[in-house]
Amino acid sequence: MLKQIEGSLGVAEAVALCRPGVVCAYPISPQTHIVENVGKFVKTGTLKDCDFLNVESEFSAMSVAIGSSAGGARTYTATASQGLLFMVEGIYSASGLGLPIVMTVASRAIGGPINIWNDHSDSLSQRDSGWLQLFCESNQDAVDTHIMAFKIAETVGLPVMVCMDGFVLSHAFERLDIPSQEVVDKFLKEYEPNEYLNTSEPISMGAMVGPEAFTEVRILQQRKMARALKVIEDVTKEYRELTGSKSGGLLDCYNCENADLKLIILGSSVGTAKDEIDRLKKEGINVGIISLKSFRPFPYAKLAEAIGDTKQVICLERAFSFGGRGIICPEVKRAMEGKNCDIKTVVAGLGGRAIYGTTINGIVKNALDGKFTEEFTFFDVDASVLNSYTQKTEGVSFPNGPICQSQIDNSVNM
Amino acid sequence: MKKKAFAVTLDPATSLSNHTGSWRTLRPVNVFKLPPCNNQCPAGENIQQWLYYAGEGDYEHAWRVLTEENPLPACMGRVCYHTCEGKCNRGFLDESVGINSVERFLGDYALEHNLGFKIPSRETGKKVLIIGSGPAGLSAAYQLRRFGHKVHIVEMGQEPGGMMRYGIPVYRLPRNILDAEIKRITDMGVEIECGRKVENIEAEKRSGNYDAVILCLGASISTNVDIPQGDTTSILNALNVLGEIETKGDIQIARRVAVYGGGNTAVDVARSLRRIGAEPIIVYRRNRDKMPANEEEMDAAIEEGIQVKWLSTIAEARKDSLKIEKMVLDENGKPKPTGEYEELPADAVVLAIGQNVDTSVISKISGLNMEKDSVVIDNETMMTSVDGIFAAGDCASTDRTVTRAIGMGKHAARSVNAYLNGRAYKKAEKHEIAKFEDMHPWYYTDAPKQIREELEAARRCGTFDEVQKGLTEENAVFEARRCLSCGNCMECDNCYGVCPDSAIIKLGAGKGYEFNYDYCKGCGVCAQECPCGHIKMVPEQI
Repeated sequence: MLKQIEGSLGVAEAVALCRPGVVCAYPISPQTHIVENVGKFVKTGTLKDCDFLNVESEFSAMSVAIGSSAGGARTYTATASQGLLFMVEGIYSASGLGLPIVMTVASRAIGGPINIWNDHSDSLSQRDSGWLQLFCESNQDAVDTHIMAFKIAETVGLPVMVCMDGFVLSHAFERLDIPSQEVVDKFLKEYEPNEYLNTSEPISMGAMVGPEAFTEVRILQQRKMARALKVIEDVTKEYRELTGSKSGGLLDCYNCENADLKLIILGSSVGTAKDEIDRLKKEGINVGIISLKSFRPFPYAKLAEAIGDTKQVICLERAFSFGGRGIICPEVKRAMEGKNCDIKTVVAGLGGRAIYGTTINGIVKNALDGKFTEEFTFFDVDASVLNSYTQKTEGVSFPNGPICQSQIDNSVNM
Repeated sequence: MKKKAFAVTLDPATSLSNHTGSWRTLRPVNVFKLPPCNNQCPAGENIQQWLYYAGEGDYEHAWRVLTEENPLPACMGRVCYHTCEGKCNRGFLDESVGINSVERFLGDYALEHNLGFKIPSRETGKKVLIIGSGPAGLSAAYQLRRFGHKVHIVEMGQEPGGMMRYGIPVYRLPRNILDAEIKRITDMGVEIECGRKVENIEAEKRSGNYDAVILCLGASISTNVDIPQGDTTSILNALNVLGEIETKGDIQIARRVAVYGGGNTAVDVARSLRRIGAEPIIVYRRNRDKMPANEEEMDAAIEEGIQVKWLSTIAEARKDSLKIEKMVLDENGKPKPTGEYEELPADAVVLAIGQNVDTSVISKISGLNMEKDSVVIDNETMMTSVDGIFAAGDCASTDRTVTRAIGMGKHAARSVNAYLNGRAYKKAEKHEIAKFEDMHPWYYTDAPKQIREELEAARRCGTFDEVQKGLTEENAVFEARRCLSCGNCMECDNCYGVCPDSAIIKLGAGKGYEFNYDYCKGCGVCAQECPCGHIKMVPEQI
């Protein structure tokens, strides 16, 4: 059913359609509207047989989620930024215990300095947490991905983080096609846990594992991730057939046929980029976009296939590793190991700095002109802001335009 | 379950293979400390234990535990000065537990329900003579009878009970209560022969073929003091006054009576005189702080309108007045005469300045050591210097209370039993005392002390009706449950609940817990969280 609604409400409706048994909530922008709406559904009876728990922190939210999931209930929660970090101890436990929790991360920059706007530093900080991480490029993608996430999580036996850009998606009102309850019920059966805490058949979950078996336990987790690649594709296929949606998948290609350059992008910037690529096409510039949906598990083979013979790839990254470089780029290089392909990171859109069509245009033109000479470049830099500080304190100034790593290194050597 | 996770999910009891007890450097042990009330009780009652059963509503069991040490709980629940309550650790929290009021409740419960003592299942054939049927004699007789010995008490008064009958006024101890508790002892087979004074104890022992004798003849003579007096003033002694009121219900005495002394007897006399219409005034040489009389009794006396002339001695008794010398207290609290005098109108004086042992008979026993007027006894065995003759109660103690007498009677009986079996008696060693600092009182909830109802002061003066009433069952149970169970397990399950290793084993109701040292890591949480200080951490020998 088509609705003109806020992204958060769309996600809340999608979650409710999945009939969770427990939803625990602690507010933090920009995810708050999602759990608020789920709470309303529980209160008004739209969502039945669901315990909605207000907790006193994100740590508690994750703890409750672990408890309810271990108790055999389909469990959902949502968070962002600092809230996600506060959950971290539990996040690792949840994946280690194989609990199929679904959690929305309405991506938002991590402080300090405190910043409430969107980038990917929060979700990407949990790269190694053992959760599946699925990125959404639109609110429709977010609605559908949440429904698929429960099925993927429960099939694989691992928790899933659905990462949707904070504000840009969560607070945007747009047309959404919300599937009917009948369709979702057909797609997603009642949750049957492999194991759960049950007094009539007692077990201990989460036992200590020492050096004698820890490696093997980790290998089994890695195996689940390997299986997840297939499960994501299967579930997506099933869902698309049932609903006619185009959401989900490991990755999505746009205009990739014979492209001279391919941009790898996560999240909502994909939409902006698609529009700009259409304009560039009219100028005769052929650029493809790979919307990377699944960051964990990382679809190395699928990505290599998507890049194909393209010789130049730019990873548009909205977070990076301090003291290192990009976060996505090394993964792409790994996928393209031994193939003659130039892969670079361009950082843009940190802490809510808007990525416009002109930003994409600039990146494409710079790339095609060979102006990205290094692996790692900050693109949308305002040199005047930077210089207002560095000139006064150190007599250092940066030129207008993108700043690459060597410029940063050299400015320190002076 | 469809499929369990590898290694991370375990079946029940699989972690038992991990003997975490080997990590331990400290081991918890259950310690049974002596609650301060038990330690203080001159009768040696196991107060904490009987309060526990009373709190559980098992009154008969509570009464049976109580009467292991003291056969007169209904009397004691009325007349004991309950020094135990002064030592009660609950006093550090809010107010001490009303031990005395629960004791009375149990005593009254037993009378109401006709609970009796068990008749000994076997007779030893040994015979013991007890001189005096006061609290010491009754207590000793009861304990000896429990051992199966034949006991014969000879009492010089017309009725048994000693000072409980002839010294303690009826308004504190109704005689039907006393009679009922004595009857319970005679029902066990103890013989009490009243109205005869034994003149020759050694001859009595020989002729009656007694295997042992316990002297429990009390301190039955009022101490005299020489007060210069004119012919017309009457000077009486306290025991005569109390005895006459007891036997005749009244006494012919003047209206304005000075009671001379500051002890419990002085207060008893004054309060009794008030009830027969006199206007007693207590004359005491020191002040209220230094007064030996029980505080609650003194408060009651003042409520009843009894005047006190503090820091005063009687220098001379004249026809209708006394010459009073004012005193001051020196730095050691001792009264010193000032040489200042005043007149106090009074028609009679009752001396209540102490009691003495009647030595006329016992001094005839050859080889019996005395110190002043007290019989010297071995503190451990309660035996006098004469083989086979023991002593208990006021005649062998300077701490002359009913409770003390009952405790002494008990020990004397146990010692006689050992003696009759050819052994020497040793009192049981006392455990370490449970101090408040060793407890974790956070767990105890607030609970106000339950107060016994009293007859209004205005209604007391014309009657010998009992002043203090008993607690209701509901209040008695509440009061019993206020006990902190110092140093002794009350099965609160705290240790069982907090142990992170499930290493506390519950042994079942009334049996407490034990530690499973295979798994106890010695973290000490149980000891920290035990409210009553029953668990102690001791270093492992490594």
